[in-house]
Amino acid sequence: MAAKLKQIKDDALRESLTQAQASLRSGDYPDVVHRCADAYLELLSRKPEMLEGPEALRSILFFPRLGAHLVQEADGSMTAVFDREEFIFSEAITYFEFAVDSLAKHEL
Amino acid sequence: MKFGLFYEHQLPKPRDGEQWDEDAEHQLLKNALDQLELADTVGFEYVFEVEHHFLEEYSHSSAPEVFLAAASQRTKKMRLGHGIALMPPRYNHPARIAERIATLDLISDGRVEFGTGESASEMELGGFGVRRDEKKRMWEEATRECVKMMTETPYGGTESEYFGMPSRNVVPKPLQKPHPPLWVASSRRETTMVAARLGMGSLGFAFETPEEAKERVADYYELVREDCAPIGKAINPALAILSILSCFDSDEEAIAKGAEGAQFFAYSLGYYYNPFTGGNHRPGGMNIYKQFIEKPEEERWGPLGEGFRSFGGFQAGAQNEEPEDEVTRALWRAAQRGGCIGTPEFVRETLTKYEDSHLDLMIFVAQCGARKHEDVMDSIYRVGTKVLPEFNERHEEHQRWREEQLAGVDIPINSSI
Repeated sequence: MAAKLKQIKDDALRESLTQAQASLRSGDYPDVVHRCADAYLELLSRKPEMLEGPEALRSILFFPRLGAHLVQEADGSMTAVFDREEFIFSEAITYFEFAVDSLAKHEL
Repeated sequence: MKFGLFYEHQLPKPRDGEQWDEDAEHQLLKNALDQLELADTVGFEYVFEVEHHFLEEYSHSSAPEVFLAAASQRTKKMRLGHGIALMPPRYNHPARIAERIATLDLISDGRVEFGTGESASEMELGGFGVRRDEKKRMWEEATRECVKMMTETPYGGTESEYFGMPSRNVVPKPLQKPHPPLWVASSRRETTMVAARLGMGSLGFAFETPEEAKERVADYYELVREDCAPIGKAINPALAILSILSCFDSDEEAIAKGAEGAQFFAYSLGYYYNPFTGGNHRPGGMNIYKQFIEKPEEERWGPLGEGFRSFGGFQAGAQNEEPEDEVTRALWRAAQRGGCIGTPEFVRETLTKYEDSHLDLMIFVAQCGARKHEDVMDSIYRVGTKVLPEFNERHEEHQRWREEQLAGVDIPINSSI
C-alpha cells in the first residue's frame, strides 16, 4: 500500500492519507474514516464527471456504507454523513483502501 | 496454482412452470456430490460451498456444513471450503460455527478451509434482521471470537457488541492446529486488502482479469509482509478467484452448453444484489429464469448493468443469437468465451495468464444456470485430465515464489496452498 500511496500526486491529500495510515496502525479508526471520506469528497469535487450520468450512481453507491455514507445536496454537492463515531479495524481498512485506490486510479 | 470448484447450487425454475419439479432440489444436491467425487479423482483439490438464504433459483445452498459433511465422505483428498460461512451472529451463533467447523475438520481428517463473510443481499440481511452498515463489524467480531473458541481451553467468553456468552469450553476442537486456514469473501478490492492485513486468504468473488489479479497479488503480499495484524493464531496467505468453466472439444460446443448458464449466473446475481430488483423480490412468486430468457437484451441489466454483466465473465452482450455483423460477431464470440468457456487449449491459455500473475487458487463455477449434470461432469473430467496436470506439476515453482514473498514473516502460517 505504500507504493499506492506514493501514486497520489496531490501533496495535501497524500499527506492526509499517510496520516490515516498511521492512525490505522495506532488504532484511531474514526480518524481514518474521516480522513478517507474527506479525501474522497475532494476527489468528487475535482472530478465532476464522476457525478454525471450513470457514473454518479456508481460513485455514490460504491463508497462503503459502514457507518458513513454520502448524500448529494440540492445544489449537487456531496457531503459525508456519519451514522456513528465508532469504527473497528476492518471498517477503517475498507475506507482507507477505497480512498487510496480511488485517488490513485483517478490520478489525483 | 491450484484448482477448485465453487457451488451455489443454482436451480432455475422451469421456464413454463410456477415452481420446480418435486425432485429437483433432491437431484441437484445428489448430482453435486457426484460431481465432487469425480473432481476429487481428476486433480481438483478444493471445493468451496456458499451459504445463502432465500435466494431462490440463484442459490439453494443454505446449509453448506451439511453438504460438505456429505462431501467429506465422498471425497478423499479434496479440501472442503466454506465459501463462505455467514458470520453475523443473527445468521449463526459463533459458538455453533466453531463447533461445526471443528466437527467437519475431524470427520474429514483435517481438510476444512474456514471461509468467512457477511452477506450482502437485501433478501438475506432483511430476512435475518442484519443491518447493512453493521455487518462488517459483526463479521470481524464474530470471526475473532470464533477463532478463540477453536483454540482456547476454555474459551474465556465475551460481552461484545453483537453477542455475549460466558466462559465455556467449546468442543470439539479442530484437527488442524491452531485452526483451519482462514479466508474471507472479497467481492471488492478493499476486502482483499482487509484479508491481507488480517492474515486471511482472499476469496475473490469478482471474476478479476489476469491483469487485475496480478496487481492484487502484489498489493496483497506486500501488506501481508508489512502490515499484518492476524485475526487468528496463524495466517493463511492466499488469493483465490472465480471463473466460469465450460470445457468441451470445440468452442462451439463449450459455448452452446455453457454460455447460458454463465449468463444466468450473472443475471441472477445482479438481480439479487441490485437494490432496485433484489429488494423487491416476491418470495415464492417469481420465475427469474423465465424473466432472464424472455427479457429483451437491452432491458436485462438495469442501472448497474455493466458491473453485474462483467461478473459472468463476458463483457459484450448476452444475446442468444450471433450478430450478423462480422466485427460485432467477433466481439460476441470473444465475450461468450470469457472466463474459461472453450476448448482445453483455450482454457489452458486463459489459466496460464492467471498462473503468470501468481494467483494461488482458481475456483471454477461449473454448475450454474440450467446446465445439465452430464455436461458439468464432462467439463470437470475434460479439464481435470487434459488441463490441470501440467499446472499441478508446476505448482512447486509457485510455492517457491510464495516462500520468497513470505520471507521474513515471523507469524505462524497454516495454509494448504
